[in-house]
Amino acid sequence: MEVEVEGGGDFANTSYTTICQDTFRDLGVRDSIDRVYLYVDPKAHVFIISVKIGRVTSPVKVDDVTRQETQERYRITNEKYAPKLLAVLGDKYGERAQQLSRLEINLELDEKEIEALKALIVYDPREDLVTRILDGMDRILPEGARVRCPISLPNRITIIASENSITEDWKKKAEEMVRMQEGVSEDV
Amino acid sequence: MYKIMMFEGGVYKFNELKELIEDIGGFILQESVMQSETMLHIAFPEEEERTIRNKIKDLGGKFTKLPLAGAEIMIVAPSLGKHHAVNPICDIAEFLRREGAITNMMGLARGVGKRIAQITAEEKKIIDEFDAAVFVFGDFKECIEEKKKLCDQIEVPYLIVGGPPDLELDHYVGGIGRKTDRMRRKGEIDTLKTMTAELGKILDEKRLEVEEDPLAASPPFIEEMIEMFIPPKAGEELPVIIQLDGLRINIEEEDVGRIKDVEVGKKKLSEICELKKSLFKGYLLKIKTEAEVGGIY
Repeated sequence: MEVEVEGGGDFANTSYTTICQDTFRDLGVRDSIDRVYLYVDPKAHVFIISVKIGRVTSPVKVDDVTRQETQERYRITNEKYAPKLLAVLGDKYGERAQQLSRLEINLELDEKEIEALKALIVYDPREDLVTRILDGMDRILPEGARVRCPISLPNRITIIASENSITEDWKKKAEEMVRMQEGVSEDV
Repeated sequence: MYKIMMFEGGVYKFNELKELIEDIGGFILQESVMQSETMLHIAFPEEEERTIRNKIKDLGGKFTKLPLAGAEIMIVAPSLGKHHAVNPICDIAEFLRREGAITNMMGLARGVGKRIAQITAEEKKIIDEFDAAVFVFGDFKECIEEKKKLCDQIEVPYLIVGGPPDLELDHYVGGIGRKTDRMRRKGEIDTLKTMTAELGKILDEKRLEVEEDPLAASPPFIEEMIEMFIPPKAGEELPVIIQLDGLRINIEEEDVGRIKDVEVGKKKLSEICELKKSLFKGYLLKIKTEAEVGGIY
């Protein structure tokens, strides 16, 4: 993930670069973002943040987070996904899927069903990627900049934020900046 | 005038040190014994420093200055949202506590933004209850300059902490700004030390003002009298907090009448202090000056 911050002076630019990196890392979306561009104008109190979404990690399947121990016994190998896994199994198999202990699941299936189970998707990062990125942007943008205006472009999330109403001039300026960024990302 | 210092050492002949402090007319403000380690915050008459140092030389241990001791400080952030809390305000508070201050934190109700930043009358009153305030602002020069107007409305001395290092404002320390993790690197610790030194200077000015027109009785002395009269309840932390020119006492409402009758020398507490309910916590005792009420003996 590449971060570029402009307009805030040396200290603020360095500080906001760290804030962007740390925030998106905390939310676990760093690998799915190609480039973050943040423009700050503290005098006019306008902040423009634009995130270019990159390759999203592939969906997590049942086979990735469990190990089959016997015909009907499965062990959870990645506990992080346990709640989602149990919810998926509950939806699909109902009472046939039982959690025996913290990491053990009992599920009686025939060979055909086992194959289908292994390919069952537990979590698709695409589902909530945009929500998580938006959450990150909200954490990065100054708290006082509550007036928000989105600019829609494919594979890119851009938000203009300010404490004042956002003028058409700023919207145009932001669009120009983002289009220039598109050029930058293609070069990269 | 009392000097407040911290002793850190072992338990060997520890009681002798405590007795000596009592003999020379000093007070133990905080005591913590952890297995074989002890820590004491001691208030003692300035002229007796040599006596205590000699004793500590015999016992072995560290004796360090607490530049912010005896002061209750409010750390003010524009809000308590994730943009300001927990970093850096908790780091700042922790560092001030290490230097002996008692700290509290508050987030303003409408303190965020530049043009829209406000401070309410009640918030101002709460901050004015403290000895000093530390305002923690963000990374932008323009915003800090604009937000200084909030600080100017406060009557107690204050320090502004922000990001840009080259801002020309009174009582301003830069180099902190917005943080996403703990301030534990050497450069950051140095900035926190600079901040403490600057706050120390501000408090020294206030101490000098108090010394010029001395109080009827010193806050540690009144604290001891109160604790003799109303012993602290088990598990209760800091029931009486010392300020530079008064005390904050966390007592029940039914004890308020009793506390007024506490004898301080030949006078009653109600004669030498003004008692009022704090908007923040407990009750505030503002000690009147000696010129106003005369000596207590």
